[in-house]
Amino acid sequence: MKARSPWVYLPVLILLAITVVPFFWMIVSSFKSLAELYHIPITWLPKQATLANYQKVLFDSNVPRYFWNSTIVSLGSTIVALIFATPAAYGFSRFEFKGRSVWQMLILMSHLLPSAALIVPLYIFLGYLNLLNTLIGLILVYLVLTLPLAIWMLTGYFKSIPVELEEAAIIDGASRWVILLKIMLPLSLPGIVVIFLYSFVATWNEFIFALSFANDSSVKTLPIGLAEFSTEYDTDWGAIMAASVIMSLPIAAIFLGLQKVFVGGMMSGATKG
Amino acid sequence: MSDAATAMVQTEASSKARRAQPEAAAPRGRLARYLAAHKDGPTFFILPAIALLATFIIYPIISTLIMSVTNGNGVFVGAQNYIDIIESDRTARATMNTVYFVGASIILQLILGTAAGIVLNEQFRGQAIVRALTLIPWVIPGIVGAMTWAWMFHTDYGVINYVLSSWGLIDEPVRWLTNPTIVLPALTAVNVWKMFPFVAIMVLAGLQSIPVSLYEAAKVDGATFRDEVIYITLPQLRPILASITLLLIIAGVNSITIIYAMTKGGPADRSLITSIQIFVEAFQYFNFNQASALSVLFFLVSTLFIVAHIWLDGRRKER
Repeated sequence: MKARSPWVYLPVLILLAITVVPFFWMIVSSFKSLAELYHIPITWLPKQATLANYQKVLFDSNVPRYFWNSTIVSLGSTIVALIFATPAAYGFSRFEFKGRSVWQMLILMSHLLPSAALIVPLYIFLGYLNLLNTLIGLILVYLVLTLPLAIWMLTGYFKSIPVELEEAAIIDGASRWVILLKIMLPLSLPGIVVIFLYSFVATWNEFIFALSFANDSSVKTLPIGLAEFSTEYDTDWGAIMAASVIMSLPIAAIFLGLQKVFVGGMMSGATKG
Repeated sequence: MSDAATAMVQTEASSKARRAQPEAAAPRGRLARYLAAHKDGPTFFILPAIALLATFIIYPIISTLIMSVTNGNGVFVGAQNYIDIIESDRTARATMNTVYFVGASIILQLILGTAAGIVLNEQFRGQAIVRALTLIPWVIPGIVGAMTWAWMFHTDYGVINYVLSSWGLIDEPVRWLTNPTIVLPALTAVNVWKMFPFVAIMVLAGLQSIPVSLYEAAKVDGATFRDEVIYITLPQLRPILASITLLLIIAGVNSITIIYAMTKGGPADRSLITSIQIFVEAFQYFNFNQASALSVLFFLVSTLFIVAHIWLDGRRKER
């Protein structure tokens, strides 16, 4: 290991400044009054911290409803994805069959596929099913993001569980489905939690599908709802910053609470197959 | 009912039928024998998920292909949509913008990300929390980053213009998001800020898989930190940097949120990239057939990068 030198703190501070300062500014701005936001010289901390922006966002806007919509869509799509991904991942990790690697590659490809390539046909398809501007429609199209991700990650997780643990049950004549439910699922619970959170974050942050398929205010999600604070002539920056803070809170909580799992998971994914 | 749901119901129904079969008698007929033999096989584990994905990915791709060679009334028009969209000035502009945006982003993301990864690999107090905080721009919703930067870029009351002018670096406020020559570099900067943390963590993972013995041998030979970086670290990182680059290209061509939220592709298409152009052609100009042709072209180019990434990543992880 290299020796500790105080000089290492200089680049560390620069790095932190780059990544964290914008969020600091978002939080500071969310507590400023409109008059203070539009005032030069700029104040680095609010002179008179006010909750007016938060009050406006929480009690005098559609944000609570959009928060609810985002929650339903993210949870719905994540849960449906896990229900379908679990048997599929078991199939990929425990059976040898013709074309397995081809199917797995197609799953990985669909995971990497840019969503912009699908907005036009999915719009037509949802319209055909009468699912435009519905939460169900959004949950279904979000499977494009969550299902390949869940299958891919869960297959890796299942592969890391020794086959020996299942063999006794197989000898006892248990069906594969029973083994999956009674043995594999409990063993892979930590992995499933991580995949659940990954997928929740991905859908919570999603923008272009929501913008294209759900623009009625009854079904808008938070990322689209943020735009409501700006009109052609005027933008309520205080409210936008407050809404941004509110929108970031669940993600920040998930991430910082599980940062070891997140960072560790990303790193092992980078070097292992 | 959606195709997916129908497919599911059918799978369920057929699996029920299968379960009933063996009890009734020895399976007769090809289908029954197949089902009995595969009851515990991979097919029924994988089929439901594949059916769902096929419904929401393969089917849309096929319908885009069809729409790209027909007109608004569904009449076959050959390559006309492709010709129209390729000859459009907007496409030329968007393609140039995409190449600039993705190219410049990647170069800066790789430089900043590698530097950050090397810093995060050093020993210092609070290392774990600094690693987590570094990832924050990447984890937080893109729209939040976009709005925060839009506010900081505000011409009259933004903190960036304020700091620059109080340091005497600019005489008059810079119109970051409305000046046609500045808007794309400004958006590139935001995109770099959002994605370099991802590069940093990947590089960190790569760094930790470099055998310590290489550094020890270099120490014995009297190598400095700079020598270590140039002769050990960077060459060892090359494979992982190559696959990160392809991932960044794939993410870059699809980075809609930041640009759309901050400028909607403006002013005068100066920050329009191809992925946003697809959205604009479809939902602003209601030209679904040309948008489909553009989607097909976009899909083909992205698939090229995706295949390259999978191939390269597979080779790297095998070693």
